[in-house]
Amino acid sequence: MDFLLLLISTGLVSGAAYGLIAMGFALIFKSTGVVNFAQGELVMLTAYISFTIYSTFELSFFPLMLVTIPISMLIGLVLERVFIRPMLGEPVFAIVMVTVGLAVILRGITIMIWGPDPFNFTAGLSTNVVYLGSIPFYPAQLYLIAALGVMTLLGWAFLRFTRMGIAMRAVAANETAALLVGISVSRIHAVAWMLSAAIASVAGVLFAANYKLAPDLWFQGLKSFPAVILGGMDSVIGSAMAGLIIGVIENLFQGYIGQGLREISGFIVIIIVLMVRPYGLFGSKDIERV
Amino acid sequence: MRTGHFKEATGQLVALSDSRVVWFFVALLLAACVAAPFLLGNYQVTLMVSALIAVIGAVGLNMLTGTTGLISLGQAGFLAVGAYTNAILMMDYGWPVWLSLPAGGLVAALISILVGVPSLRLKGLYLAITTLAFAFIINHIILYAEPLTHGPNGIFVSGAKVLGVDLQRGKALYYLTLGTTVLVVLAALNIQRSRVGRAWMAIRDHDIAARVMGVDLVRYKLLAFMVSSFIVGIAGGLISLQIRFVNIDVFALILSIEALAIIILGGLGSIAGAVLGALFLSFLPEVIRLFFETFADSSSNFYTSYVYEIRGIAYGVVIVAFLRLKPEGLIGLWRDIRKYWSNWPLAY
Repeated sequence: MDFLLLLISTGLVSGAAYGLIAMGFALIFKSTGVVNFAQGELVMLTAYISFTIYSTFELSFFPLMLVTIPISMLIGLVLERVFIRPMLGEPVFAIVMVTVGLAVILRGITIMIWGPDPFNFTAGLSTNVVYLGSIPFYPAQLYLIAALGVMTLLGWAFLRFTRMGIAMRAVAANETAALLVGISVSRIHAVAWMLSAAIASVAGVLFAANYKLAPDLWFQGLKSFPAVILGGMDSVIGSAMAGLIIGVIENLFQGYIGQGLREISGFIVIIIVLMVRPYGLFGSKDIERV
Repeated sequence: MRTGHFKEATGQLVALSDSRVVWFFVALLLAACVAAPFLLGNYQVTLMVSALIAVIGAVGLNMLTGTTGLISLGQAGFLAVGAYTNAILMMDYGWPVWLSLPAGGLVAALISILVGVPSLRLKGLYLAITTLAFAFIINHIILYAEPLTHGPNGIFVSGAKVLGVDLQRGKALYYLTLGTTVLVVLAALNIQRSRVGRAWMAIRDHDIAARVMGVDLVRYKLLAFMVSSFIVGIAGGLISLQIRFVNIDVFALILSIEALAIIILGGLGSIAGAVLGALFLSFLPEVIRLFFETFADSSSNFYTSYVYEIRGIAYGVVIVAFLRLKPEGLIGLWRDIRKYWSNWPLAY
């Protein structure tokens, strides 16, 4: 029983990281209709930038995030302006391929700046084990889960109550109609990229604090695809929840079936979901098919 | 007076090209390719072999993504299947290479049916993600099916002899890949002009309309997957012959991206474009290397330590730049030049 609890709890931790990254994916997909293949690289880049800030100024966690998040949003804005905005009106395939190209560029630049060796990055969190019941947690793990909770809540409130959030939903529902009622669609796209980069930075810093800050951090972006698909590509909250599910599934596969299956269990889930319910658990059902 | 370009018989319509000039230059190109190993050094020949293998892979992917419009991010997986099948059959089962190479293509084609079945319900991005997932799953299966694939140890590939000629040595390997490339390009050109190719294009342009016109979507989509994967599998087998050691690290995700970069760069849907793109991207790393060697003396160390990153950035820049500035790719550029040439001094 303890084994199962341990698997589930650590699964929730890695799942929280998937959930956060998946939220970033979903936010961009919802408002722009583009799958951002560079999301993992965004996570990686922002985590490395945060690491540099941390090692220069020795900030503790919350001030660190207070500095990192605006910088990340700026990066998101710049990327959108430079790479995505000029592609407006091109077919979706072309824009998605631009994000693929962007991904390899960001990855290469990040590794060239910070080198291929991993860093230990505590992000100003303590490393003393905390017990919740009988299960040991590192503070970084609890922060990660809490961050997912906070981000989900903020995301929900943003999309539900703020002017900008409602405009974003309008753009997602019908871009032309949104344009007609006076919403600046291009601004919504920029905001989506900024918020997505902000979420990515939270995910990146906390993931690095939990594991390591290594050049393969970008791979977490691809590993979060199962969560995006399971949650429904256009459901921000659904992706966050699905991240937790995927994390637990991966751990259960690893614990009860075999080590090698951990890596691919998420992708098996992708294929099953796409065959059975392509719009995911919470997504809208308007997926094209013949 | 007749002006312009007319075709008066059906035979002219189905001919590969009705232009003597085109045939002349194709013959010249082929002659140059055949003569190349006698004129070039060993290193250049090796480079040519890699470039030709890239051409084969790109033509294969182009059928799926360019002609049928099914985006695949799983090329690395099919290449791995082809390479591993060839290596396992040759080394563990003692098959002759002329049998194991096509077998690699066949196995890749069979596995592609597994990928193809979900594709019957999915389009665009969803399909891209599914193929990505399949590539990961294939890689992990190869990694963990140790009794069959030797897992992380990889397989050394040697002794590919046909009639006493070692096909893995310089010139023999070059002529093997050149021959395969010519066959594949011819086959692709012919398929594209046939009923099948037209059905694929109809699916790409509008699948519902194609269905209404009587194109069997299930059949033609699966066929596209199979033919494309067969060719890619053979490219994988050739890779295993060339690098002499297959290991799962060879078939990383970047390979799939490289493949897509090639066909975007060349111009989606065009076979000549795929060939041009493959040649361009294969020689790009060399150009970058030469650039670093000539212009940056102190940073040659920088180049060797970050060779993969620099290459990745170059691919990324090529993808982004072409999508932004010239979405029709190199072949579009070529058409523009041709138009300019034949219409000069008029603009149109």
